[in-house]
Amino acid sequence: MAAMVVALRGPVGRFRSRTRAWTRGTRGAANAAGGQQSFDLLVIGGGSGGLACAKEAAQLGRKVAVADYVEPSPQGTKWGLGGTCVNVGCIPKKLMHQAALLGGMVKDAHHYGWEVAQPIQHNWKKMAEAVQNHVKSLNWGHRVQLQDRKVKYFNVKASFVDEHTVCGVDKGGKTTLLSADHIVIATGGRPKYPTQIKGALEYGITSDDIFWLKESPGKTLVVGASYVALECAGFLTGIGLDTTVMMRSIPLRGFDQQMSSLVTEHMESHGTRFLKGCIPSVIKKLPTGQLQVIWKDHASGKEDTGTFDTVLWAIGRVPETKNLNLEKAGVNINPENQKIVVDAQDATSVPHIFAIGDVAEGRPELTPTAIKAGKLLAHRLFGKSSALMDYSNVPTTVFTPLEYGCVGLSEEEAVALHGQEHVEVYHAYYKPLEFTVTDRDASQCYIKMVCLREPPQLVLGLHFLGPNAGEVTQGFALGIKCGASYAQVMQTVGIHPTCSEEVVKLHITKRSGLEPTVTGC
Amino acid sequence: MALLPRALSVGAAPSLRRAVRALTCAMASPGELQTPAPAAASFDYLVIGGGSGGLASARRAAELGARAAVVEGHKLGGTCVNVGCVPKKVMWNTAVHSEFIHDHVDYGFQSCESKFNWHVIKEKRDAYVSRLNTIYQNNLTKSHIEIIHGYATFADGPQPTVEVNGKRYTAPHILIATGGVPTVPQESQIPGANLGMTSDGFFQLEDLPRRSVIVGAGYIAVEIAGILSALGSRTSLMIRHDKVLRNFDSLISSNCTEELENAGVEVLKFSQGVQTDDKGHIIVDEFQNTSVKGIYAVGDVCGRALLTPVAIAAGRKLAHRLFECKKDSKLDYDNIPTVVFSHPPIGTVGLTEGRNREVMVICASSSKLLLAKITVCKLHQPFSFWGSARWVLVCRIFSVCPPSKCPTSPTPSPLSFSLSPRLQQLRRFQPTLLPLGYQISLTNTELIKNLTFVTSVFLQVVGIHMQGIGCDEMLQGFAVAVKMGATKADFDNTVAIHPTSSEELVTLR
Repeated sequence: MAAMVVALRGPVGRFRSRTRAWTRGTRGAANAAGGQQSFDLLVIGGGSGGLACAKEAAQLGRKVAVADYVEPSPQGTKWGLGGTCVNVGCIPKKLMHQAALLGGMVKDAHHYGWEVAQPIQHNWKKMAEAVQNHVKSLNWGHRVQLQDRKVKYFNVKASFVDEHTVCGVDKGGKTTLLSADHIVIATGGRPKYPTQIKGALEYGITSDDIFWLKESPGKTLVVGASYVALECAGFLTGIGLDTTVMMRSIPLRGFDQQMSSLVTEHMESHGTRFLKGCIPSVIKKLPTGQLQVIWKDHASGKEDTGTFDTVLWAIGRVPETKNLNLEKAGVNINPENQKIVVDAQDATSVPHIFAIGDVAEGRPELTPTAIKAGKLLAHRLFGKSSALMDYSNVPTTVFTPLEYGCVGLSEEEAVALHGQEHVEVYHAYYKPLEFTVTDRDASQCYIKMVCLREPPQLVLGLHFLGPNAGEVTQGFALGIKCGASYAQVMQTVGIHPTCSEEVVKLHITKRSGLEPTVTGC
Repeated sequence: MALLPRALSVGAAPSLRRAVRALTCAMASPGELQTPAPAAASFDYLVIGGGSGGLASARRAAELGARAAVVEGHKLGGTCVNVGCVPKKVMWNTAVHSEFIHDHVDYGFQSCESKFNWHVIKEKRDAYVSRLNTIYQNNLTKSHIEIIHGYATFADGPQPTVEVNGKRYTAPHILIATGGVPTVPQESQIPGANLGMTSDGFFQLEDLPRRSVIVGAGYIAVEIAGILSALGSRTSLMIRHDKVLRNFDSLISSNCTEELENAGVEVLKFSQGVQTDDKGHIIVDEFQNTSVKGIYAVGDVCGRALLTPVAIAAGRKLAHRLFECKKDSKLDYDNIPTVVFSHPPIGTVGLTEGRNREVMVICASSSKLLLAKITVCKLHQPFSFWGSARWVLVCRIFSVCPPSKCPTSPTPSPLSFSLSPRLQQLRRFQPTLLPLGYQISLTNTELIKNLTFVTSVFLQVVGIHMQGIGCDEMLQGFAVAVKMGATKADFDNTVAIHPTSSEELVTLR
């Protein structure tokens, strides 16, 4: 595929080497005048995308620097190198999800003959410490990797001085001037606070804090319906905490809505409480130290109130562009969402300044896409490649208690794009073998494959709800990327007994109206 | 069905072999038929064996309008349901719990002291299996398929005929799907061999044995050793050579041996005496035809790819060929994925490094000749995010050299390899990659040195072999891609799912 892109893109490749020679000259002069340090590439932001881009460029023999700085959260939480994913995202999230799954396993164990002394207590402190230690080891790993590849690391808060120069301020207030031919902005984003709600900032926490809490959050209200909200609520419930999700409208906006409602239905049946159509209005601290939340139910128009130990905001994320002084460099942002406007080459309104990852407009907020985009950008800048990131068929998994993996189009998107009469949906409710012995309810274990109706029925999207969805989805994503058709998926022999084999056994169409429940082998 | 040691040797019941022979004679000399047989009940399709393959074929045939009957002397569901995949995986899950319980403390759960009670799981497992037996029974009733209880033997008759409990049944098409049973070494070879049990016996155990010895190096031996050891039985595994799973990729084979030893299984190597007999499979062609017209065989009894889904798929394909006139309906036996439920599990699909290592091919592109070398190489790395794991991608490298470097006079012989649809699709962009050609000998090492032009587009992934937590659920989707002929470039272009173990397969540099 890469080679195809090369072939197509070759003639329109930009005359990068010439531009580079020219900027080099001017920078040399500036260098002589001031005492600033200069580089071939400066990356602002040491998260997944930024580090990947920096390391790749260094491997291509360039002089590279990374400027990274973590502004403490309003609650004072801070962390090390590696960005959201490593510190306050994917990694600690999945580890706590695993802790919750283990809790479920303990409950199941007696069905399998294990005589476990009940009740089992969960110790937040112990889990959090173990998770934090792992995160710290990753922070350290990133430092070592930068050093090994001779990437200069600055623990400074960066802002633009001009289009080639950035001023970095360290913890002590000392400033450093950094200049570079090419600058990549990869500062990511931070959780949004509903500042219009009284008490939100003072008493609420976000995903920036939850993984670093020293004590259990206790009874928690999670506000929001994003995957961050549902994942946090899922693992909090799983480790035995009283957890409520308050959502304004639909869950998992942008995901397939049938799947999304199954996700929340499963959570509800496993102890997470949902307050749907509600918006919080005030948070107060009670003398007991607990938080009193007042909210409005939009359907009834009534006000209601509840007491929680913790309120967690998961209502969205804002890009980190405010402190960059982008106007000094002439980099344009979308005033509506503060994201940096980029073209297909990841270039901003200034040709030698680029933006990748969550900070760039229109990009999926996912670690692997940022990493890939960062690497490809480094190769375009320094490696004689013109390959672009392909954002189609990006797979992802929501690590709710019942995991939801998906790739490609949702049913709604497919219908909107191709029309109802051209879309065939194969689906099945299945029961994982693991659930049978323990009499676990499998009503939400569901798979749907969205295909074109016309033979050979190209697969447009796959949606898998069940255990290990992350592991199941990856391989199918590869197949779909290769252009798999329904016929080709069916030609593959199943692996018995697994959940993933249910995908290659799908044969009931939604259109047929037949019962889609799997029976027997 | 995956489980039982047909891999070691399938003992297709000798009586059945005799029956086939008898029938062959009958067909050869129909004039010699003496006594008119008592009237036989007749069907369109008679299936001998109510296991995965037989039931799937019978039900599919019934859906296509055939009057079908299934002969089964034991419980419905065959090996898979009764003494194979299903109870095996239940036991595997049980064992996995012991690993979770070890992890609990690290994840903040306290007081996880636990004892294991074999009776609980045995009872639940038996209950589940008999629930499945009932479901199978109901499915047949719903499809109006007659169940004939008993064991079938072939009988003489103008039409293929079998006899069950003295009654005769006939049909123009008869399918043999009798599966297999575990082999027990002869008492003359190993005195006392009869005191041992097989995987069938394992599922009858009423208690966890305190001390167990498993003889064999195949996946069933590995799975049972892993289960027993995890549940607290002191377990030894006796193998003839130095590694288990010797027909798997070498990395998996050594890794799995190591994992077993790490898990506390004593692996006794180079022991003597266990002989297996590999005869007794029914020989079928690619369409599941036996040597006798009107008689077919699917599943373990054929001795090829002894897996439940294979038997199911082959049985259905056959039904479509017989009752829907789909003449070319047959199962493609290439790239069948399979999982060994060892600890941690193994997933494997496609070629291993050992086989088809180097094949030289001359490609003819319209006017000029090109030489292509196809190497099977492996790219592997351990990954460790969710525990120790290893995997191998086996790739075919397609490299092409200019015609001047071609060997002078190759002896053309028909090419045994053809390009997958996926590579044919890529050919549009890489016109040098043409499938027309001839295989030549591999002796010219000089030529191999001259071959340089290799890009990831020319790397077709022809095998994936892995061992690690989650590999059981990871493999299926990748198998679809390998079947399609995915290249290394396709792997590179697939975005990872973070954080999972499976993402390691698409992020290899």
